[in-house]
Amino acid sequence: MDIRGSDGIVTLQPSASQLASPKDKAVRSAEERRLDWWSIAAIAPAIIVLLGFLFLFFYGVFQSLTDLRFGRPLVHFIGLNNYAALIKTGDFWNSIRATLVYAGSAVLAEAVFGLALAKLFATEVFLARVMRPVILLPLVLPPMSVALMWTTMMDPQSGIMNYLLSLAGINRFAWISDPNTAMFSLVLIDVWTYTPFFTLIIFAGLQGINEEVREAARVNGAKGWATFLHIELPLIAPYILIAAVFRLIESLNQFDIIFGTTQGGPGNSTSVLSVRAYITAFQNLAFARGAALMVVNWMIVLIGTFAMVKLWRFVRQRVS
Amino acid sequence: MPRKLAACRGYSANFAKITLICSTLLAGTAMAFTQAKADDINWRQFEGASIVWAYDIHPYADAVAAQLPEFEKLTGIKVTPELYPDDAYWNKLTIQLSTKSPSWDVVGTGIQPAWDLAPGQLLEPLDRYLNDPKLTAAGYDYKDFFPALRDALTWKVKEGQIEPGSGQVWAIPHGFENIQLFYRKDILHKYGVKVPTTPPEMSAACEKLKAADPAITPLGVRGVRFWSSIHTAAISIARSYGVHDFVVKDGKLDTGLDSPESIAFHKDYVDMIKKCAAPSFANDNWYQVVDGINSGRTAMAIDSNMFGFWNDVAGKPASGKIAFAPPLHAPNSKNFESNIWIWSLAMNAASQKKGAAWLFIQWATSKRVELNGAVAGKLVNSPRASTWSDKAWLEYAAKPEFNNFVDTFKTVQDRAQLAFTARVGFAEAMNGWAVAMQKMVNGADVKATLADLASEIRSSM
Repeated sequence: MDIRGSDGIVTLQPSASQLASPKDKAVRSAEERRLDWWSIAAIAPAIIVLLGFLFLFFYGVFQSLTDLRFGRPLVHFIGLNNYAALIKTGDFWNSIRATLVYAGSAVLAEAVFGLALAKLFATEVFLARVMRPVILLPLVLPPMSVALMWTTMMDPQSGIMNYLLSLAGINRFAWISDPNTAMFSLVLIDVWTYTPFFTLIIFAGLQGINEEVREAARVNGAKGWATFLHIELPLIAPYILIAAVFRLIESLNQFDIIFGTTQGGPGNSTSVLSVRAYITAFQNLAFARGAALMVVNWMIVLIGTFAMVKLWRFVRQRVS
Repeated sequence: MPRKLAACRGYSANFAKITLICSTLLAGTAMAFTQAKADDINWRQFEGASIVWAYDIHPYADAVAAQLPEFEKLTGIKVTPELYPDDAYWNKLTIQLSTKSPSWDVVGTGIQPAWDLAPGQLLEPLDRYLNDPKLTAAGYDYKDFFPALRDALTWKVKEGQIEPGSGQVWAIPHGFENIQLFYRKDILHKYGVKVPTTPPEMSAACEKLKAADPAITPLGVRGVRFWSSIHTAAISIARSYGVHDFVVKDGKLDTGLDSPESIAFHKDYVDMIKKCAAPSFANDNWYQVVDGINSGRTAMAIDSNMFGFWNDVAGKPASGKIAFAPPLHAPNSKNFESNIWIWSLAMNAASQKKGAAWLFIQWATSKRVELNGAVAGKLVNSPRASTWSDKAWLEYAAKPEFNNFVDTFKTVQDRAQLAFTARVGFAEAMNGWAVAMQKMVNGADVKATLADLASEIRSSM
C-alpha cells in the first residue's frame, strides 16, 4: 500500500474544496462538460477505427459459424459445425503443424543470424561497413516479388541455386518441388527476407549499451566471448524478444511467400493455416470454412504473442 | 420538222431510259444502304464510356488487344485490358466478383469456373443483350458459334445447382481448346522414339529419352495444386479409363474418383509422371509447359493444342518442329478422349457500364475479329464455323510449318467433349483432386489417397 500517496490526496482534496465558491463550482463543472466534449471529439476517430476493426473481426467470427459459400442463396447459422468438421480432418492438423514449424524455425533462425550480423555491424571491420546498407535490401522488396524471384532461383533444373551447388560438387536439390525439402526452402526464403529486421533491432540494442559497462567487464578480466555472453546478451535480450514478437505474429500469418512459391504444396507439405484458409475461401469458394481456419490461426497468433510478451516482460524485469 | 420531232422523241426515250436505270440503281443503292443500316446498330451509343476487360496473360487476349484501337475508333469506348498470370487471375476473378466490385466490366472465363460464379448472380445473363436489336447487330450471327460450345455456355440455375442444355446464356465463346499430345519431331526422331499412345508406352518412351539425354524432360504436364492441372492431361486420359468425376448412384450424385477404374488410371498416370515429368512438376503451370516445348528442353507435352501451334508459327525458334497427336488412352481402350476448354467473355453482374461492356463482348467475338486473330496465328481454335470455312484461315493453318495441326484437330475434335460434370462446387472438388495427385506423385498410396479424396468431396456435397 502506498501510504505517502494516500496522504497527499487526503490532505489536498479538502483544502481545494474549502477554497472554491459555489459560483466557481458551476463554472468549473460547465468547463468540465466542455472539456469532455473536446476529449470525446479528439478520441472519436480512434474509437471509430477501433469499432470498425472489431466489427470486421467479429463479422469474420460470425461467418465462421455459418454455412456461407458461393452459389448458396441462403446462409444458415450452424454453430461450431465448421470447427468440428475441421478438427476431424488430418489435413487441418497438418496445417497447424506446418504453421508452427514454419514460424518457429524462421523466427529462431532469424534471431540467431540477426544477432550474428548485428554483432558484426557493431564492429568497424570493412565487411560491416560494406554490408550495412546492402543488408536492408530484402526488407524493402515486396514479399510476392521475393517469392517469384526465389521460385525461379529454386527451379530444380534451370535455377541458379542448383547451379551454385553444382560448383561445389553438390548434387541437384529439389527445393520447393519436393515435400521433404519444401518447408526448409520456405524457411530459407523467410530468413533471407526478414533477418535484416532482427539485425536492425539488435544493432540498436547493442549501440545502446553503455561502453562503461563493457569497460568494467574488461577490467574485471572478462574476455570477448564472456563479455558478450554475460553482459551484452542479457542486456539486448529484451530487444531480441520484441523483434521476435513482431516476427512471430507475421510468420504465423505468413501468406505471400508461401502462396507465391508452393501454394501450400507439394501435396499439403507447406499448407499453413493462412494459405489453407485462402484456398478454402477463395479457390474452393467455401467462405465459412475459410473464416473458421482464419479464426483458428488468429487464436494461435494470440496465444503465441501472449507467451512472447510475458517472456519479454520477465526478461526486461530481470535486466532492469 | 418531223425529223426533228423524231430526234427529240428519240432523245426523250433515251433520257427516260437512262433516268429509269439511274433511278433504279439509286433506289437499289439507297435500299441496300437502308438495309445495311437496319442490320447494324448504333455502335456509338455508349461513346465516352470507359470499361475494364480482365483476362489471363494469354495469346487469345493478345489477339483481341491487338485489334482494340479499331473498337475504340468504332465506338468511342475506351477499353483498359487488365491481364494477370493464370493462377493470380483466377483468384483475383473470384475475389472481384464475390465482393461485387464494379471495377471489372468484362471478364474472361471458362465454363467450369462459370458454374461456380453464375448461381451467386455474379455473372450477368446475356440473353437480354443478344435478343435486343438495338444492342446486337443482325450480322453478329450468334448461331455461327459451334452448337456444342453454345450449349455448354447455356444453363439453368435450379435450387443452387446447374442444369445444362437450356436456360440462360452466361458467356460468349471466343476461343476453345481440345487436349492433345504434341511433340518435338526433331527430338523423337533423333532418339528413335515412336509417338506413344498409352501411359505405359509413354513411361517406356520417357525412360528411353532420359537414358539418351538426361538433360531432357520427356513430358511437359501441368502439376500445380489447382484445378487447371486436372482439366488438361489428367481428365482427358482418365476418361479413356472410364473414370468419371461424378456418377449417379441410387439417384444421387456421387464422386467416381475412388472407383476401380480411377485407381487403375492413377496408378498408370502417377507412374508416368514420375518417369516423365520435370522435377518441378508440382510448380508447373501451362507457362512452363509452353516454355519447355518451345525451348526444346521438353520432348512432348499433353495440353491444349494451340500451345503447339503458337510455337510452330514462322519465326519462332521451334517453328515447324512441333507435330500433333491425339491424347494418350487406356491400354485396353481403342479410343482416346479429349476434354475441351472454352475461353469465353462474360459480363460482371456488378458492372455499371453494361451496355458498353456488351458492345465490347459483341465486337471481340465477331466474325471479323475472330478471323483476324486466327490468321495472325493467335486465336487458333476459333469457336465460329465461319472461320473454319474461311479460305484465308484454312490456307494459313495448312502451311507446312504447322505439320499435321489441321488433320489432328479434326480427328480429336470428333471425340472431344466436356469431360466434367456440370455442377456448383467444381473448383473445390477439382482442387482437391490436384492436391491428391501431388501427394500420389510424391509417394502416397494411390488407393488410400483416392479414398481420402472421395471422402473429402462427399463431405462437401
